[in-house]
Parts: sequence; C-alpha cells; structure tokens
Amino acid sequence: MGDAILDPAPGRPLDKSSSPASQGNGGTSLSVITEGVGELAVIDPEVAKKACEEVLEKVKLMHGISPDCLVKQSRRSEAEAALRSRVELANGDLGQGCEIKCLDDPPGTPSKIQEEDETVANTVKSARRRQKNNSAKQSWLLRLFESKLFDISMAISYLYNSKEPGVQAYIGNRLFCFRNEDVDFYLPQLLNMYIHMDEDVGDAIKPYIVHRCRQSINFSLQCALLLGAYSSDMHISTQRHSRGSKLRKLILSDELKPAHKKRELPSLSPAPDTGLSPSKRTHQRSKSDATVSVSLSSNLKRTASNPKVESEDEDLSSSTESLDKSFCSPVRLAPEREFIKSLMAIGKRLATLPTKEQKTQRLISELSLLNHKLPARVWLPTAGFDHHVVRVPHTQAVVLNSKDKAPYLIYVEVLECENFDTTNVPARIPENRIRSTRSVENLPECGITHEQRASSFTTVPNYDNDDEAWSVDDIGDLQVELPEMHTNSCDNISQFSVDSITSQESKEPVFIAAGDIRRRLSEQLAHTPTAFKRDPEDPSAVALKEPWQEKVRRIREGSPYGHLPNWRLLSVIVKCGDDLRQELLAFQVLKQLQSIWEQERVPLWIKPYKILVISADSGMIEPVVNAVSIHQVKKQSQLSLLDYFLQEHGNYTTEAFLTAQRNFVQSCAGYCLVCYLLQVKDRHNGNILLDADGHIIHIDFGFILSSSPRNLGFETSAFKLTTEFVDVMGGLDGDMFNYYKMLMLQGLIAARKHMDKVVQIVEIMQQGSQLPCFHGSSTIRNLKERFHMNMTEEQLQMLVEQMVDGSMRSITTKLYDGFQYLTNGIM
Amino acid sequence: MALAEKKGGLLRKSSASKKPLKEKVVLMYDEIFTIDDPSKRNPRFWEELFLMKVNLEYLEGKLEALDGEELMKIKDNINCLFQHCIQALAEEHPIRVVNALQTLCALIRGVHQKNKSTSGFDIINMLMGFDKAELCMKNLMESLDALLCAEGSESLKSLCLKLLLCLVTVTDNISQNTILEYVMINSIFEAILQILSTPLSRREHGYDAVVLLALLVNYRKYESVNPYIVKLSIVDDEATLNGMGLVIAQALSEYNQQYRDKEEEHQTGFFSALTNMVGSMFIADADEKISVQTNEAILLALYEAVHLNRNFITVLAQSHPEIGLMTTPASPVPTTPVTPLGTTPPSSDVMGSTELPLDADVQTSNLLITFLKYSSIVMQDTKDEHRLYSGKLCLIILTCIAEDQYANAFLHDDNMNFRVNLHRMPMRHRKKAADKNLPCRPLVCAVLDLMVEFIVTHMMKEFPMDLYVRCIQIVHKLLCYQKKCRVRLHYTWRELWSALINLLKFLMSNETVLLAKHNIFTLALMVVNLFNMFITYGDTFLPTPSSYDELYYEIIRMHQSFDNLYSMVLRLSTNVGQWKEPASKVTHALVNIRAIINHFNPKIESYAAVNHISQLSEEQVLEVVRSNYDTLTLKLQDGLDQHERYSEQHKEATFFKELVRSISINVRKNLAFNTLSQELLLKEFSTIS
Repeated sequence: MGDAILDPAPGRPLDKSSSPASQGNGGTSLSVITEGVGELAVIDPEVAKKACEEVLEKVKLMHGISPDCLVKQSRRSEAEAALRSRVELANGDLGQGCEIKCLDDPPGTPSKIQEEDETVANTVKSARRRQKNNSAKQSWLLRLFESKLFDISMAISYLYNSKEPGVQAYIGNRLFCFRNEDVDFYLPQLLNMYIHMDEDVGDAIKPYIVHRCRQSINFSLQCALLLGAYSSDMHISTQRHSRGSKLRKLILSDELKPAHKKRELPSLSPAPDTGLSPSKRTHQRSKSDATVSVSLSSNLKRTASNPKVESEDEDLSSSTESLDKSFCSPVRLAPEREFIKSLMAIGKRLATLPTKEQKTQRLISELSLLNHKLPARVWLPTAGFDHHVVRVPHTQAVVLNSKDKAPYLIYVEVLECENFDTTNVPARIPENRIRSTRSVENLPECGITHEQRASSFTTVPNYDNDDEAWSVDDIGDLQVELPEMHTNSCDNISQFSVDSITSQESKEPVFIAAGDIRRRLSEQLAHTPTAFKRDPEDPSAVALKEPWQEKVRRIREGSPYGHLPNWRLLSVIVKCGDDLRQELLAFQVLKQLQSIWEQERVPLWIKPYKILVISADSGMIEPVVNAVSIHQVKKQSQLSLLDYFLQEHGNYTTEAFLTAQRNFVQSCAGYCLVCYLLQVKDRHNGNILLDADGHIIHIDFGFILSSSPRNLGFETSAFKLTTEFVDVMGGLDGDMFNYYKMLMLQGLIAARKHMDKVVQIVEIMQQGSQLPCFHGSSTIRNLKERFHMNMTEEQLQMLVEQMVDGSMRSITTKLYDGFQYLTNGIM
Repeated sequence: MALAEKKGGLLRKSSASKKPLKEKVVLMYDEIFTIDDPSKRNPRFWEELFLMKVNLEYLEGKLEALDGEELMKIKDNINCLFQHCIQALAEEHPIRVVNALQTLCALIRGVHQKNKSTSGFDIINMLMGFDKAELCMKNLMESLDALLCAEGSESLKSLCLKLLLCLVTVTDNISQNTILEYVMINSIFEAILQILSTPLSRREHGYDAVVLLALLVNYRKYESVNPYIVKLSIVDDEATLNGMGLVIAQALSEYNQQYRDKEEEHQTGFFSALTNMVGSMFIADADEKISVQTNEAILLALYEAVHLNRNFITVLAQSHPEIGLMTTPASPVPTTPVTPLGTTPPSSDVMGSTELPLDADVQTSNLLITFLKYSSIVMQDTKDEHRLYSGKLCLIILTCIAEDQYANAFLHDDNMNFRVNLHRMPMRHRKKAADKNLPCRPLVCAVLDLMVEFIVTHMMKEFPMDLYVRCIQIVHKLLCYQKKCRVRLHYTWRELWSALINLLKFLMSNETVLLAKHNIFTLALMVVNLFNMFITYGDTFLPTPSSYDELYYEIIRMHQSFDNLYSMVLRLSTNVGQWKEPASKVTHALVNIRAIINHFNPKIESYAAVNHISQLSEEQVLEVVRSNYDTLTLKLQDGLDQHERYSEQHKEATFFKELVRSISINVRKNLAFNTLSQELLLKEFSTIS
C-alpha cells in the first residue's frame, strides 16, 4: 500500500544527498555511548533539560511527522518522563505512540541511541522535505510505522516493496529500533536486497549493517559470508556486484573494528553529544582496554612457545607481539576465517578418498593436527552464545553418508564467555592432562602415577658413585632376578609384595562363585542401552545414536578442559561442495512457521536447524542432536518403525510410548505441512530423522519450491505419509490419526493467517538468485496458492482430508503394485 | 670407519708415490706437526689455513701415525689449531667455517683413535690444554649453537651436527667421553629442539638431531644429573615433539618400506624361479634372512622420548598426513626397483595400481602404527645381536606405552580404528597371505596381535626368556587397564589363550634344557596369572558372556597341559632345591584352573555317558559349562591386577649401556662415510659462494 500512496518524485534527489551523510555520521558517532540508560542516568539536569528543549524544538518543526525522533530522544533517559508528558500534552496521539515505543524497547538494548541521534537528524531532514508535498495519506503510513504493530517483518516488507526512497531511508533508520535478534533473522533478506536491489535500498540498509558490524564480530562474519554467497550468482563484471563485494571487502578489511572508530571520534563528535562528554571519556577508556584484549593472540596460530624463553617472558613477549599486530594489521576476522578455511580444506581432501574408512581415519588425523592450533580466537557461528573454541575431540568426528562429497560431523569443545571480544582466549592445556579419567572411582592411582613419573624426572636424583654396580652386570642376570622386582620397586602399586599372590593359605581365603562372575558379565552387558553396532560403511550411525548427554559427559571426562565450569560441547556438520543457501531459506521458513504456530498456539512441532552459509558451495549445519535417520533405525534394528517405538519407549499403554507417539504425530503433522507448503521433495528415509523423544525431523532441503529431482514422478503426493508412519500413529481409525489431521488443519489455518510473513522471506530471496528452487516464473505465485487464501475453513478441511488421502493412496497404489508383482511373480 | 681408513690409506699411498708435489694444505699440516709455532714464519698462517680445502684423510692419518709422546711434543700446535678452528667458526665467510668444522672433526677423531686407552682428561689436554679447555669448549658450543639456530646454510648446519655426532660418538662408551661434560654445561638442547620444530630444518637435519639427542641423554645418565634428561622430560611444545615424532616415524617407516621391498623382491624372484615348491623348502628359503640394517639409534630416541617425556605419548597417536602425502606419490615407485633393468612389464603397473587403494595405511598412519610394524619385523628374528637389541627395545617401549594412562586411552579408543599390517613370520603350518582384508580395529588389538605373534613364533631352543617375560607383562598391563576402565574389547581372546597354553606346553616339554638357563617358573606363573585374571575378573572386560564360556572351554580342552604343569611344579616344590620356592608359587596360582578342570571334567564325562556320545562337540561342552557354573566355587586371588612399573634405573642399566655402545659405534661408522660425501656437497657450496 505504501508506494501507491506516496508521491515519489520530489523527495528523491534530496534524499539521496542526505543519505550518505547519514552513513558517515552514523558510522562514526556510535561508540560514544554504549552503556545506554545506565550511564545516561548520570546526566546532569541541565543537560537533560537542554536536550529536552531541543527535542521539543524539533517536534514543533515537524508537526508530528517524526514522532519517531521524539521517541528516540525520549528513550535517552528514564528521567525524562516529565518531558514525555509534556510531549503528550503538546501532541496527544503521537505521544501515545511514543509511550508504546518506550515499552516496546527493553532497557537492555543500548548502544543504538547515539547512532539514532544522527539518524534522527537525517530523518528529520528527509521528513521535512517530504512534508512539503505531504498528503494526509502519508501520515497514515507514518502512523502505521509508529504503531506497535509495526514489526521487523513489516519493515522488511516495506523496504522491499516501497519504491519511495524516503520510506526506504526511514525504514533503514527504523532498523536500529528493533531488537538485534529480530533483525538478525532477516539478515539474508537485508543483504540480498543490498546486493540485488537498487541503490536507494542499499543506502538505506548500509548504515545499519555497518553499525552492527562494528558491534559484533559474529555479525561481521555472517555478513561477509552471506554477501559473498549471494553475490556469487551475478556476473562478475556487473556494477551491483561490486557494491556487495565492496561492503564485504570493507568488513573483511577490518576497518569496522571498534579500535578504528575510536581514533576518529574526537574530530567528528557531533554537537548534540557535547553535553555527554564526561561519560564519553570514561567509556572511551574502557573501550580501549577492550581493544587491547581483543587483539591478544589475534591470529589462529597460537604463539608457539619458544623453548628458549622462560615462561614468564613468553607471556610478555607474546602479548606485546600481538599488541603490535593489532595496531598495524587488521586481523580481527582472520583467525575465524582461517579456521573455517581449514575445515573446508579437510572436507575437500576427504572427498578424494575412496572409502568411508579411509575418510574417517583421515578426518581424525586432520582434526588432530587442527587441534594444535587451538584454543584460538575462533567460534562456531551456529552457537547461540559467546565462546572460544578450545579443542576438537578428533576421535569423535564422523564422516556422514554421502555419495561423492564428504560432509562430516565434528564435535567442538568451547568455553563459554561473557563477551567474545573482551574475554581472553583460554590457555592451552596439553592433551594428555586428563583431569578425570574415564570413571574416576575405577582409576584411583592413575592420576598419581603421572605425577610421580613427572616428578621423578624433573628432579633427577644424583646417583653418583655406584657406576661399578651396573657396569659389570650381565644382561642374563636380569632374568633370574625377576621375582624380586616387586620388592625393588618403590611404586605405590608394587608396594604389594610377592607374598600376597602366593600366601593365601595363611590368610582367610575369599571364595567367589563362578556363576556370579558369569552372571555379572551378562547383566552388565544387558544393561548397556541399545546402542547401534559399528558399521564401517555407516560410521555416523553409532555416533548419532549415542544420547547427547552421555556423549557430552564422555567427552568432558576425556577432555583436558572438561573440568572448567564454562565448558560446553557443540557439534557442527561441515559441508563442502554443497550449496546451503536453499537450506538457509528453508530454515527461515521453518523458523517463521514455528513462531506462527507458537503464536497461534497450534501444538505442531518442527525443528529448524541452524545453517551457516559460507559460500555458494560450502557451509555448516547445526546437527539435530539425539536423532538418527529412519533409514539407520530400520537398518540397525531390523524392525518396523512401530516395533522400534515399542522397543525404545515401551509398550502401547506406557506413558513413555504415548508421549513418544504424541510427539511423533505433532512433528509429523508439522513436517507434512512444511513439505506441502515448500514442496519439499526427495523424501527418502535417509532424509528423515527420528529423535529420542519420538519426533521426526526432516533434513536436506535440497529440493524445494520449483525444483525437484528429475527422475521421480513418484513424489506426486503432497507429502510423504507411509503406512509405517500411520501405524505408529495407531492406524487410520485411531484417535491419534484424527488428531494428526486436525493439527494439520489448524496449522494450515494459522499459516494462512500469516502468509505474508512466509512468502516475504522467499520472495526477497528470489531477487537475483539462480537457485534451482526459484526456477521458472511462478514460484511465488504457486507458493501463495498453496495457502489457499480464498477457501473457507470447511474447504480447507476438505483439502487436508484430500491431501492425506492422496498421500495414503499413493502408498496403497504402491502396495498394490508390490502385491501385484509378488503374486504374479510367484504364481 | 674401517672403510674410510682404507680409502684414506689408499689415497695417501697413491699420492705419495705418484705426486711428490704436495698440495699446500698438506704442507701447512706438516708445519703444524713440527714443534715450532707455524705462525712465527708466516703470521697469516692460520688465516690462510682455513681458506684451504681440508684434507681430512691426511690430517687424520698424520695424527694416527703419531704415538702418544710424539703427540705431546706438538701439543702446543694442536691446541693452537683447535683454538683457531673455534675462532674461525665465528668468521663470516662460510668457507672458513666449513673448513674449521671439518678440521675439528678430523682433530677430534684423529686424537681419539690414537689414544683409545688414555683417559678423557688426557685427550682434553691434548686438544685444548687443561687451562683453556673450559673457555675453548664454551666458545665452541656457543658457536655451534649460533650456527644451528641461525638462518644460514643448511649444509653448514648439517656439518655442525656431524661434528657434534663425531664428538659424541668418538668413544665406544659414551660415559667415558669426558669432553661431553662441556656439552652438558654448555647445552645445545635448545638448538636441537629448534631444528625439530621447524619443518624445513627438520627435513634436512631431523635425523641427526634426534640421534644426537638420544645419545646425549645417555651420557652418564645413571651417575649424574644429565641436563638433557631434565630438559627433554619437560618439553611440552607440541610442534617440537611432533617434529621429533615425525623424524622417528619417517626413519622407522623407511625401514619397513625397505623390508617390504626386499621381501617382495625375494618372493617374486622365488616364485618365478620355482613354481612348484614344497613347504619345507619355503621355510628353508625364508631362513636366509631378508636383512635390512636395523636402526637402534632412532629406536633409542623413541624410547627416551616415550620414557622421559610424558607429553610425547600424545605424539604417538598423532597421525602424519605429512608422511602419507609424501609416500602416496612415492608408492608406485617400489614397483620399479623390482625390475631394475627398466623394462617394467605392464602387469606390474596394474598390480601397483590395484595395490595402492588396498594399502589403506599408506594414507594415514601414526607413529604407533609404524612402530608396531617395525617391531613385528624386528622381532621376527632375535638371533643376531642387533635384532635382539632392537626387539628388546621394542618390547621395553611397548611396556612404557602399556603403562601410560593416556596411551591406553587411545589404544582402546573405539573411535580410532586402524588396519595394521603386522609382519608375520612364514611358518610351515600357516598361510602367510590373507592379511590384506584385516578388519579395522582399535590399536590395542594390533598390540595384542603382535604379542600373540611373538609368543607363537619364539618357542625355540635359544629361548628368549627375557623377551617372553616382557611380552607377557605387556599383555598383563593392557588387561589391567581394561579391567580398571571396563573396556570390553572385541578381540578374539581365544588366540591369546591358545598361544599361552602352547607356551606352557613348550616350557614343560623343554623343562630340563630351559631350567639350566632360566627360571621358567616366573614365566609360568605370569602365564597362569593371566588366566586367573580372565577367570576371576572376566566379567569386567570380556566382550560377551559366551567369551567367558569359551575361556572355560579352552581350559577344559587343554586340561592335559595344566595337569602336566601342576604335576611338574608339585614335584619340584616338594623336592628340596633351587626351584622349591618359585615352583610352589605356581602350584598355588593353579588352584582355580584346577578347580575348573576338576569341576567340569566329570560333568562332561557323565554328560557323554548319559547321552551315549563318545566325542562331544564344542557346542555340547559349552552347554555343559553353562549349566554347571553355579556349583563351582573359585578362590579370589589377590594382586592379579597389580603390576610393577617399569624402571630403567635398576633393571635395565646394563642393557642400555650395551645398546648405547653399539649405537655409538654404528653412528661413528656411518658418520665417517657421510662426512666424506658431505665434502662433495661442500664443493658445490664453495662454488656458489
């Protein structure tokens, strides 16, 4: 609706000129305050008053066109409540909007404020210009923008659809108001727009991106990677291409690191901020402290300990060394990129090996070498918290099943930290310093023996004067003396003398029953959980079957870092040679559907798994824990799915089985809808996982929307629903099956209600994309059609019935075919 | 050395007869060997000397020709030469440095060869003079250290290492080499580490550096504080340790490769010549050994690293794709030397290409796998002295590994599976092939295989008692770990059991011969206690309940052997004599095995009687075993899972002394040859600069 209402012509040229300015200022001033509310509370009343007056001044100028500015100003201090009431008096309804905004903004989102000062100024300018040939309608749009309903999804939508530079610029500024996490979700869309759409959109987005890049190294990395990946479809020589890659270069050149802007600050500090100088100065100092620690060991390569330098000196020298580095070379992102590069290189080399076994061995050895460079200032972008990678437990890594590529799964030990940039990289702990052994109570003496051994050699005893003792000995003598070894040795273990072996008669003999030993053996083996058997052709099955908690415990025990309280285990699938952009798109859609269903309180269960697109042909995937593919389940257990459920969860009537069954139904319904809406194809059992709670999880969204594997006319049904699935649900007549259909209906209704949110994600990504899922011209139209906006709920119910029937029919057809073949073949 | 001498001698003779005109450097040497100070006549004498190309043979020969007293007369000049050599080391021009290094080599060697009997102090006096020795050696070591650490020429560094090796190996017994006291004070340990930590220098000089380090560590290691021991034990820089591991792995795998090539050559030649061959002749053929010079020096280095440095254990499991990458392109090469004429038949190419992917361990290997393979080759034959040393050292290293907690953790790691092609001795009753499709298993299986292999193949008249004891100890240590950590290894324990029973059988049948030389009861006791371990603690580490049944089956099946053993030890323990004590220990240890036999045998007999079967099948016996466990009571024996820790100091000192002596001689021998070829290299060097 926006672009239709606004008259674009007069505003545009002026806006263009104003936007670059906003970039420049926005970029440089942002570091002034990052502590936000807390610090601002200290502002003396004089300053506050002055600021308030300024704001009022602006309000008067704008005549309510940019209450947004007012909102932001007012957020600067909680102490400005008075101001707000005055504003309310002056401009009633707008004040209300401001009130809402204030509530919307949690106090924990600082650091935007000073930037906003700038952007506000710009908005003011542009708004003022717009105002000249402003119509009443425009204020309606603005009122929408100001309302609490205006969320990030709408912002993205207007950014994409509006042709009005003013609106775009406005939304570009508005981005600063949203929560980081909310905007992060749309990062692929934002960047794709930046790359592929016209300059106005790009200019509107850029300040925000630059601002966020300065704040977060992870954001910088994601941006750089996505910019690279989404630019790759374009022709190299195009002008636009260079825009995306320019920004990428800017990010990678590390000019956006905090240290840089600090130096620029004094000359460019803008007028409105002068009153805040005391707090600025203190903050500046803390910033500079931060940059020092940021740059410590800024390279992936650990500063190799020079054997010639004593340890204290070493610390000193290495820190000064890297300090120097921080001032001369931009390396903030370098370690992480190096880390990613080496993971990808491993994948490439693995692909050249012929067998799974060789791949596995090679993988383990490559990772063990990688371990030498850890800990380092690197992190896993798929994780949800700040951390440093300290170790890759290389023996746990597995190669996943794939025909010609070599995706692999690694587990990564990390230490959680408060702030990635400021926390120091943990010190390396040598591999063999296992703190707790496999099971502590079983190995009481092992810890000691290590220490003993070490100490016995660090303080080498002086054995002067007994050279004769050994110089005349003969080798043969050793053999005769063997029994005495026990008494000679000074070790704990061998304190124990020869007698104890042989002198049982003198002591009370202890008797044991052979039957007990045998029984214990069989009992202990029976108690071990139903682990999968090791299969060299499918090494991942065992690794994935092991319960996550148990794996974490096991790896933690074996790790030299395991004793640290902030130790965490993460896992990641490294894919080399695969384009994960479609996976990312699917992830976004799934995530969106998940939140829609949550919002509408439909108990559908889906599990979007995080995707990191590294380039157009590589990336990382966050694995779904505690889940194995249905193919692996069936192959390993040799059971039907239902029998497997019974085996794993207990009998039909048990609580555990019923829970698992409900989980299965809820997830099945969720994924059936996903498969239908996204037209997910290639649904074989290797692409469907089953987790420990009974949920199914679809993976591999390589064929979605307009693309499908060429060979198959098989997958004509809306989604995959096999008899085995229906059996687990309790058969066609069961309550659970009806529940399943009802969930589908509710889910579809809910999804339909928020169709725009889903379609928007896909639509924006279509810009400039060569991805197979966008093949043809009707992708979006078809997607929209699948939401059946025009149907009544009754009709929708019919549709669901039809789809379920259709999917069932396709089984029955298949069954019939199979039956035909069998009977004819045999008879 | 002998070779060099001969060569030197020949050269000298020919030059003396054919060329009355001596080269200038020789004339200058002659001047040194006079009583007068050569710099008197020519003040620039020393400066000029180091510009001349060194004539090693002449200088060494000249020194050798002099007897002690004559040498004492020219001591001042020798001292002077030595000092000027050291001064020249600091010179900028590499030619002088090279010449000085070589002159030093010749000096040290020449003086020593003549004065083998004289004490180290006299030699120091001869070379440097007592008063100046300390400063002299300090300067020398500092110069060498500087040269080794500098970014300079590789051949210079190589020559420095050669000089050091020459210095270290100049006496047979390293501990009598008093000059090394100065090497202890002025440590070059850091320089060695630096060489090992950087890839380029490691490739060039790694081997020499590692051997040098191994030897230095053995200098008076039991008598005094050897700083190299202390320093080596605390190294924790992974790059360095890895570098060391790589050098060792490289040397060992070269040996393995050479052996495999020779063996292939052997077999292909053999098969092509004689197609119809009877088995007995095959054995005869195998008896003429495929001998490849063993390398105890590098093995000693491995031992010292494993034994002294606990961080090195991690390196064992560290894979070397580096080696893999180097050998992968090289692996088709071995097919060509088979046909040295260069007319490679196309068939061998095909064979080569099919071989390549099968040999999985070419691609990824680690030091431990390489070492296990090496051990399997070396331990095949323990008759010759070097091999015996090597084999014993291998077992000692394995003992250290089997004791280490971390090493055990990765040996038993279920996720680290490898295919280890151990060498198996060709024997009459078994086929040699079929090792190509070995399963991929945790590394401990390979260790156990190696132990079983050793047990089976060394029951000979020259009974290697010591090695057997070590071997059983290793198995015991591994079992102790498994019991403690409840590792249920899927291993065919049956092979181990039958090997052990066969060993007992062998001991008994050769009782008289063996008792004359060895205390066989120690070994018998250890073997019986291994069985006791399985019997009483089987529930903690056996993979399946049926494997426990199998253990009983095996004991019952071979009950004759245990019965015989029992009657033998009983006989000896009731007699008064030397063996009373040890034999009675074995009697007590046998209590559970005898209980099992006495419990089940009547049951099996009655089962056979009831069912009218004369010969019970395995399944039937197992059935009887399974149904009669509950009426069997066993005695819990203490200390089965205890083992004494390896200790070099008390038990192995003699062995290591001998070993180091043999290594020293060997290194010196090879060094003499190498230094000569080094000269060729330096010719090239001199033209460049």
